[in-house]
Amino acid sequence: MVAKLKVNRAASSAGLIVLAAVAALVAAPTFRDGVAIGVALAVAIAGVATLTTPGLRATHPVVVRSALTLVVLDITLIATYFFSATTNFNLATGAAMSIVLLGLSFLTGASGQISLGNGAFMGVGAFVMAIWANHHATTPIAVTLLIAVAVGALVGLLLGLPATRLRGPYLAGMTLAFAVAFTAILSSFNSWTGGDAGLQLPTSVTPPRWLESFFGSGTSLLTTNSMWLADITIVVTGVAFFLMANLFASRTGRAMRLIRDNDVAAELVGVSLPRTRVIAFIVSSAFAALGGALWTMINNSVSPSTYSFALSITILSLVVIGGIGTIPGAIIGGIIYAYSTDAINWITNQTGLNPQGNVASQLNGIIFGGLLILTMLFAPMGISGAVHRWWRGRKDKSGRLATPSH
Amino acid sequence: MITIDGLSVSFGAVQALRGVSMSAETGKITAVLGANGAGKTTLLRTISGLKEPATGSIRMDDRSLIHERPENIARMGVGHVPEGRGVIGEFTVEENLRLGAMMAKVPLQAGLDEQYEQFPVLGERRKQHAAKLSGGERQMLAMARAMIAKPSVLLLDEPSLGLAPLVTAQLMHTIHDLCGSNNLTVILVEQNASSALRIADHAVVLHLGRVVANDVAANVAANEDLRQYYLGMVE
Amino acid sequence: MMDPILTSRIMSDVLGGLTNGVMYGLVALSLVLVWRSTGILNFAQGAMPMFATYLGMGLLSYHLSYWPCVAISIVAGFAIGGVTERVLVRSLYGKPEINPVVVMVGFLIVLEAVASAIWSTTPRGLPSPFSPIDWQIGGKPFGLSDFTLYEIVTGVIVMVAVAALFRFTKLGLQLRAAALAPEVSRLLGVRVGRMLTLGWMLSTAVGTITTVLVASNYFTGLTPQVMDSIFAFGFIAAAVGGLDSPVGALVAGVSLGIILQFVSDYLNSNAIIIVALIFLIVSLMVRPSGLFTKSSARRV
Repeated sequence: MVAKLKVNRAASSAGLIVLAAVAALVAAPTFRDGVAIGVALAVAIAGVATLTTPGLRATHPVVVRSALTLVVLDITLIATYFFSATTNFNLATGAAMSIVLLGLSFLTGASGQISLGNGAFMGVGAFVMAIWANHHATTPIAVTLLIAVAVGALVGLLLGLPATRLRGPYLAGMTLAFAVAFTAILSSFNSWTGGDAGLQLPTSVTPPRWLESFFGSGTSLLTTNSMWLADITIVVTGVAFFLMANLFASRTGRAMRLIRDNDVAAELVGVSLPRTRVIAFIVSSAFAALGGALWTMINNSVSPSTYSFALSITILSLVVIGGIGTIPGAIIGGIIYAYSTDAINWITNQTGLNPQGNVASQLNGIIFGGLLILTMLFAPMGISGAVHRWWRGRKDKSGRLATPSH
Repeated sequence: MITIDGLSVSFGAVQALRGVSMSAETGKITAVLGANGAGKTTLLRTISGLKEPATGSIRMDDRSLIHERPENIARMGVGHVPEGRGVIGEFTVEENLRLGAMMAKVPLQAGLDEQYEQFPVLGERRKQHAAKLSGGERQMLAMARAMIAKPSVLLLDEPSLGLAPLVTAQLMHTIHDLCGSNNLTVILVEQNASSALRIADHAVVLHLGRVVANDVAANVAANEDLRQYYLGMVE
Repeated sequence: MMDPILTSRIMSDVLGGLTNGVMYGLVALSLVLVWRSTGILNFAQGAMPMFATYLGMGLLSYHLSYWPCVAISIVAGFAIGGVTERVLVRSLYGKPEINPVVVMVGFLIVLEAVASAIWSTTPRGLPSPFSPIDWQIGGKPFGLSDFTLYEIVTGVIVMVAVAALFRFTKLGLQLRAAALAPEVSRLLGVRVGRMLTLGWMLSTAVGTITTVLVASNYFTGLTPQVMDSIFAFGFIAAAVGGLDSPVGALVAGVSLGIILQFVSDYLNSNAIIIVALIFLIVSLMVRPSGLFTKSSARRV
């Protein structure tokens, strides 16, 4: 009977897909748009059909995860088509940030250690991206991104090797020193990094030929081009989250959580503590570098002042507020980041503070610092943890209410 | 004098003590005996305030010791030599003693002299780090550190643990002396039942958190069943 | 014979480095004080004293002279340390290691932001009673001035005073005992909770004296960020010397100061923090537990 149900589901999904494709072709103004919308709808329907298949989550978790990633990506990509340039830019900035948050969240959630230098690791990725593009303008963008990630991982290895061997707050302290030193490091290599002014990308990143017709050929930032940039960023973000979700669920991920909860027990069952910690730190550095490289791509330039110690602290705050060690927490943090400037401006306006005054310029620090302390003291699992608890409580309650009626 | 009534203590779901009642008289040694996990150490830790009881009362003379902080109980005159002796290895012998004398009313030097007279080996090693002492010397240091504060109650947790039989015998002799000459209330927790019973006036046997015997020490020592089932003393 | 110009340059680097090194050593010492007693690496160890210094030295605007303001700053340091331990830190004992790190980083941000909001980020000059002009020997600057001598002498006095407090007084004995063996200390009547508070008070006061010295420098002045880089160097010194070892912290701090002075003289000022970072990485690779920690002492 289950098999029959599955066949029925597959048949109806296929029918829906054909129907959607035909409707898109008929309704869309041009054939090209019709194909685009048709494909998007088909992916969405197929994805949802897969997601709702009963029992699949237990037997084929990877399939479910890919379907989920595809559906979210698909919907977001369609949305960028309708969003304004500013919204797309914010979306891309926040998405890139959520990759960084995911990396730090993984490090902390899995190994119980913390990095105060992920802003600087972002900077590593951002500058490697710009420097490489300036020296090898012809390299495809995907390759340049990978190079940035690799260098980020390498720097992570260098710093992580000594610090992760030690129990105690050594990694936090060392990454803090790295974050503080980063600006000095940049200006020591002035000829490469462009000094205080930073670097421009030689040409703005344009869509490949075969896709160009979808996006138009605008070049300046915050025009149609920002949609293309937002789309790449979203796809990369989707891939990063997909990989991380699998890592969380893998043997390595379980080993890391074991370390966080009880490192003596972990060692007893044969988990190598230093190696696992170093791996977690390298992954977190690589993710940060990827986020920074995407920022360079979105902004078409990179400035050293962006990657100050303050950014590292912002990253830490966002991870903690979103929820350490969870995937939704990183997304929540990214969204908060995308809108934090707007929110703080709104507060400034509402309270009638002088926007140029001392208090208004420090509002960011006061609010983020305060939230950091309050979250850690009263809701250490952040927003996603709190929502999860509330959700479970609700389910328990409804479960209890349902029982007597049986 | 210590009076305990209906004392229950639990660690989460595990009940370590179940309605323990006993008393320890002034100038006498009360031995608390039993196997591992019988609740002996928990009993001492509850008396000195390190562990909060679920129910029951503990009184020293007329004062209740329940809900008091350990540092206040210590200041009321309860000396506790914990399991493993609690000697601070990074401190010298004399620093350990100075720490013990912190709340004493007597002048420091007089107190030190008195302890060095009682335990001459400590006087010889006063400048050495306590980590360098042998097990027996550490036990003496721990007792001297408790005695320098002139307590009226002395709680001893497994003082003979890890000591050679000859050293143990000597130690028991010292405990007996201290009790008599200072009019102390001594509660002596021991796994080494035969050594403890040799000097004790009274004995309480614990088994899985309950009192299974509470009698004059000589009677406990003579009771074949107790010896065999609870104290593991096989001739 | 050595070249006199070179000799004078080396002399000047050593003395200049000594001055900075004493400051790093003091920060490292204050970190060690808190780490040993409560097992927390206090990331607000620069910001809390900064705030205390603003509170005290701010009274300069009300026609109070330098020394009373210094005294009030130190009192404010004691108070901020004590209140922080009681209100913020007490609930963090026994929690996972990252909780105190995150909370103290949050506190660092809040303190710096609030200080900037109240007092602005413009440097405020503190009228130190000592001249910052280098002494001259044979027409060559010597690397010392009245002011740097004031810094070094004060620093040494603080170090000696802290050492004496810990080694020779009843209070120091209790502070050390509470840090080494809290439970045994309680059984001996030591009020351990009070000792932890005192440790934080003492450490913040030491930090405040450091901040006053640093900010009294004519070329620096007092800003909300005045301790940021010195905190980083102080942490590096503490980690290199071993977070458990006050002597190690001081020695590592002074050595770091002198090394970095040579780096800044012979390379450039950007290289300072980079060399410091390399110093930290290499020393953690070679002696993870710190150069001055006896490995036996760690296990107890």
